[in-house]
Amino acid sequence: MTEFWQQVVTGIATGSVYGLLALAMVLIYRSTSVLNFAQGEMAMLTTFVAWSVLQWGEYWVMFPLVLLIAAGMGAFIERVVIRPVEGAPVLNIIIVTLGLFAILNNVATWRWGGIPKGFPAPPEIQVTGVKFMGEGALDIGPTVVSYHDLTILVFAVSIMVALYLFFQYTPTGLAMRATAQNPVASRLMGIRVGRMLTVGWALSAAVGAVAGLLIAPLILLQPPMMMGVLLFAFAAAVLGGLDSPVGAVVGGLIIGVSENLVGTYTPKEWLGPDMKLTVTLLIIVVVLLIRPTGIFGRRTMRRV
Amino acid sequence: MLQLREVVAAYGPIVALHGVSLEVHEGSIVTVLGANGAGKSTTLRAISGLLRPESGIIEFEGRRVDRLSPEQIVSLGMSHIPEGRQLFSELTVLENLRLGAYSRFSGADGGGRLSQREDLSPLGRLQHYLFHAATGGIRDLARGVRGYRQRKQDFEAALRRVFDYFPILAERKSQVAGTLSGGEQQMLAISRGLMARPRLLLLDEPSMGLAPMVTREIFEIIETINRTQGVTILLVEQNANLALEIAHYGYVLETGRIALADTSENLRKNEAVQRSYLGQ
Repeated sequence: MTEFWQQVVTGIATGSVYGLLALAMVLIYRSTSVLNFAQGEMAMLTTFVAWSVLQWGEYWVMFPLVLLIAAGMGAFIERVVIRPVEGAPVLNIIIVTLGLFAILNNVATWRWGGIPKGFPAPPEIQVTGVKFMGEGALDIGPTVVSYHDLTILVFAVSIMVALYLFFQYTPTGLAMRATAQNPVASRLMGIRVGRMLTVGWALSAAVGAVAGLLIAPLILLQPPMMMGVLLFAFAAAVLGGLDSPVGAVVGGLIIGVSENLVGTYTPKEWLGPDMKLTVTLLIIVVVLLIRPTGIFGRRTMRRV
Repeated sequence: MLQLREVVAAYGPIVALHGVSLEVHEGSIVTVLGANGAGKSTTLRAISGLLRPESGIIEFEGRRVDRLSPEQIVSLGMSHIPEGRQLFSELTVLENLRLGAYSRFSGADGGGRLSQREDLSPLGRLQHYLFHAATGGIRDLARGVRGYRQRKQDFEAALRRVFDYFPILAERKSQVAGTLSGGEQQMLAISRGLMARPRLLLLDEPSMGLAPMVTREIFEIIETINRTQGVTILLVEQNANLALEIAHYGYVLETGRIALADTSENLRKNEAVQRSYLGQ
């Protein structure tokens, strides 16, 4: 039983990262119906930037700085790359994000090289003698949780809460939700729709950057590092329902946990760790057969 | 208060308005009548900035607005309640009302906002823009912090007034807008427009799809809003009988041109109007 809980806890930690990246994708999808395939590469690039910043700076100085840089990059991409194809068929925009994927990947390889680099986990923080982050692991009941996994969880949860509060209670958050639903009416309310889309991309890039910063210590920092993560994040977003932020996170957790459990408990002869991706995706297919809009997908209630 | 002079508007190659001129005096209710496709909604869309006119002049309180965006126009004190209501159907009633007040609380009426400087050279405009980008955000933030309580009281006062007109909305406050009945949705659409505290209200077919009883109720409230708050109203309506009952002045629009303009009393007596629009 210990092993089971151990696998669940580890799964929750990696699942949170999938959830964060899925959340980043959902933020963009909700407002523009664009699936941003470059989401992972944007996160990868900002993690490289973080690595460079870390050469001369403290981790906790780098962290907010990199989030700002990521947000700026997201806003820039929306204005320069996405805005011109706004109104084009969705497929065209998706192709543009695929192009962006290749460009960002090449930029990273050109600037930082293809050799994997180690990336540090957030360093130790102590609040009144209680250790929160850093090296080592913590015994919780029968399981051992590494401090880094705990850090991931804390970050994921606080980002989700912060985003929830932002969308629910601030005028800008509300305006962004309105823009996603009805751009014309939003303009009549005085909302600058274009600016809201830019803010959405900036926000999404920042959330993705956190995912990159947290996953990099677990898998080495290198240009293709986010490809696998992106696949899982994409699956998480679809599983949760593409337009639901809550769904993205829940989907991420489900995938993280089931990935780990499948890898551990299925017999090696016919499934085992090599097949965990296949089995996980099979679960998704089954769920989507039952609920085509995903677990939290929108069932619109309307009276006409 | 509002003046249109020779406004020409088109959807691509299809010209919808062939030089419309009309005038709305402060404090009055003016109605625009006409058959389907006569250009009634297009007129409103041109005024509120959703459709940029090809030529002609639109002035609101002495200021030219025909080159401004809808976001700018709403913050000048003009609300457009569009055809088909256009509610945010997946948001709650209260959220819809909060959005109605957005233009008043986003600092969108000058202040930290980028002003259009048509007088500057392209390079000067670029400098102006960059300067704004560097400083505007900070100013917005400072204003936001400073005026928070004031704005909150302001918002709550506007909310109370709207709930006075439509008590049913207070009951349905946290209900999702898409689940309201047709009449309630129209009430919400009007309330949302009122939350911006407009001096001019553009109303597009408030009776659409509603039962006669509900329509009558809504028209009575429109008249009350005009009488007690002094909000000027430009009303586009298929139901000419009702519209002429509350309006002071009316225009008849035919295929993108003003065919008739007179006081409502005279229009009601006019034989052509009776035949075509009043069903007599």
